[in-house]
Amino acid sequence: MAERRSGIDYYGVAVLLILWELAPRLGWIDSQFFPAPSAIFAEGAKLWADGTLVLHITVSLKRTFLGLLGATALAVPLGFVLGGWFPRFTRFLSPLLNLFGQINAFSLFPLFVLFFGIGELAKFSIIFWSCLWPILFTTIAGVQGVEPLFIKLARSMGGGRGALLVKVLIPGALPSIFTGVRIGATVAFLMLIAAEMIGASSGLGWLVHNSSVNYIIPRLYLAALLIALLGTMLNYSLHWLENHLIHWKTS
Amino acid sequence: MAGVVDVPQQIQTDAKIVVKAITSVFHLKKTRTEPAREFIALKEINLEVKKGEFLVLVGPSGCGKSTLLDILTGLAQPTSGAVYIDGNKVTGPALDRGIVLQGYALFPWRTVRQNVEFGLEIKKVPKRERRAISDNFIHLVGLDGFADRFPHELSGGMKQRVAIARALAYDPEVLLMDEPFAAVDAQTRESLQDELLRIWEATGKTILFVTHSIEEAVFLGDRVAVLTPNPGTLREIVKIDLPRPRHNSDTRSSAEFGWIRRKIWELLQNAPHESRHHLNAVPVAEAISPTASL
Ligand SMILES: Nc1ncnc2c1ncn2[C@@H]1O[C@H](COP(=O)(O)OP(=O)(O)OP(=O)(O)O)[C@@H](O)[C@H]1O
Ligand SMILES: [Mg+2]
Repeated sequence: MAERRSGIDYYGVAVLLILWELAPRLGWIDSQFFPAPSAIFAEGAKLWADGTLVLHITVSLKRTFLGLLGATALAVPLGFVLGGWFPRFTRFLSPLLNLFGQINAFSLFPLFVLFFGIGELAKFSIIFWSCLWPILFTTIAGVQGVEPLFIKLARSMGGGRGALLVKVLIPGALPSIFTGVRIGATVAFLMLIAAEMIGASSGLGWLVHNSSVNYIIPRLYLAALLIALLGTMLNYSLHWLENHLIHWKTS
Repeated sequence: MAGVVDVPQQIQTDAKIVVKAITSVFHLKKTRTEPAREFIALKEINLEVKKGEFLVLVGPSGCGKSTLLDILTGLAQPTSGAVYIDGNKVTGPALDRGIVLQGYALFPWRTVRQNVEFGLEIKKVPKRERRAISDNFIHLVGLDGFADRFPHELSGGMKQRVAIARALAYDPEVLLMDEPFAAVDAQTRESLQDELLRIWEATGKTILFVTHSIEEAVFLGDRVAVLTPNPGTLREIVKIDLPRPRHNSDTRSSAEFGWIRRKIWELLQNAPHESRHHLNAVPVAEAISPTASL
């Protein structure tokens, strides 16, 4: 099954690349707006050599991870407290939480900038906000979805709250939490790129923005491709991590 | 609400388990079609189990078997009455009672060994010792070589064995089993029954076993307690005088087995008239009870 998933049709990609390379060269399309892959590749090599590419990639990834980490660090414990200890309060609160979850982080961007300035904190807030809600929701759902028989069993063996949390609730809720983290990471990355286009001086989003302002079209394509590639890789590595952490799930 | 009736914390008794005048009432919430009402799940149950005895509770679905077991485990409080283990009142769950729940309830994220060691971890038994104990019980239930498998890699019968090993591993004196063999096929069921008797004979545990199979009850038990529903009442306790050790192959074919089975079947068929009366009487009584307005 894993075979299938990574089995993008490589022939298709190859054919597409060849066509793309030929089209501007043969004058079918304007190379000004549609540079050939070789031109994009050359641009990449150049930026790689002077280190700027690595810089932008690192900056974007770092922002994503920091935001994701921060959101996870808050959402998971909060989800356990809400879902596990105050189920009634949570039910009462859930319309409000859902509403918050629906608020696109971008509509809050001006607020974030107002509070935190245009610096890193505003971008962190965007990612933090976007990841927080999916992780919080899936954690609450995960805790509340733990099989009651498991809890009954642990209690019958005299397990206290600590044992119940560590040995039953956390492992039981883990699959659901992970789904939230994965959704959060995907959304966060998309949000980040957009945020970098609006207000940043580095990162892949900024690279797109900067290239377009300065009419460096091959670089624009390069950045866009890299964003797609990194997003995919992010998703795959989270899938991989999930399969290794939650290997006991029936396949 | 009833329930704050004085019950002694300790009693003088030789019996391992004493169930004294247990009544359990559920307060059903108001629904769209029905007002709030009380439901009597168990009514005045009295029962004694001797040390090392194998007692079977048999009764139709909904007669309160699991409810009684929850009370014995200490997970649920009776509305009135009390349970005593070795003469001491049960106030909550403890490791002197091991339970095998209806459904296997194996932790899917734990291997067979880790499942068996669960109670030992809670008891804070050191790792080396845990390992020796789990090896022993995995062997006892015939699962050598499967210690590192995960539950989803096991058959139903194997899962059931793991659940039994898990309950035995922390060495409770009493084993409470709620329809442990209900989910496996007939053949596996018989071999699990044979095995349970072997384990019981080897360990000398006191076992309280719940089932709704009359055959199973007669085959396993020293005595069979027959429960009838609406409300759950103890109808009669039937002594099973079949010789031990019993084996599925010859015990079942004996004439006496058939005779006892027949007797219990009749007890279950002819529920006393009083209980049928209750069926109709309850809603009327509830309609005028003070809780009805809730
Ligand atoms: N938490 C509860 N709230 C309200 N009613 C309950 C509750 N638990 C059990 N009951 C009711 O009490 C009765 C006895 O339930 P119990 O689970 O003890 O039956 P049982 O004899 O174990 O049945 P089965 O053989 O199907 O497992 C049932 O009618 C059930 O609907
Ligand atoms: Mg039951």
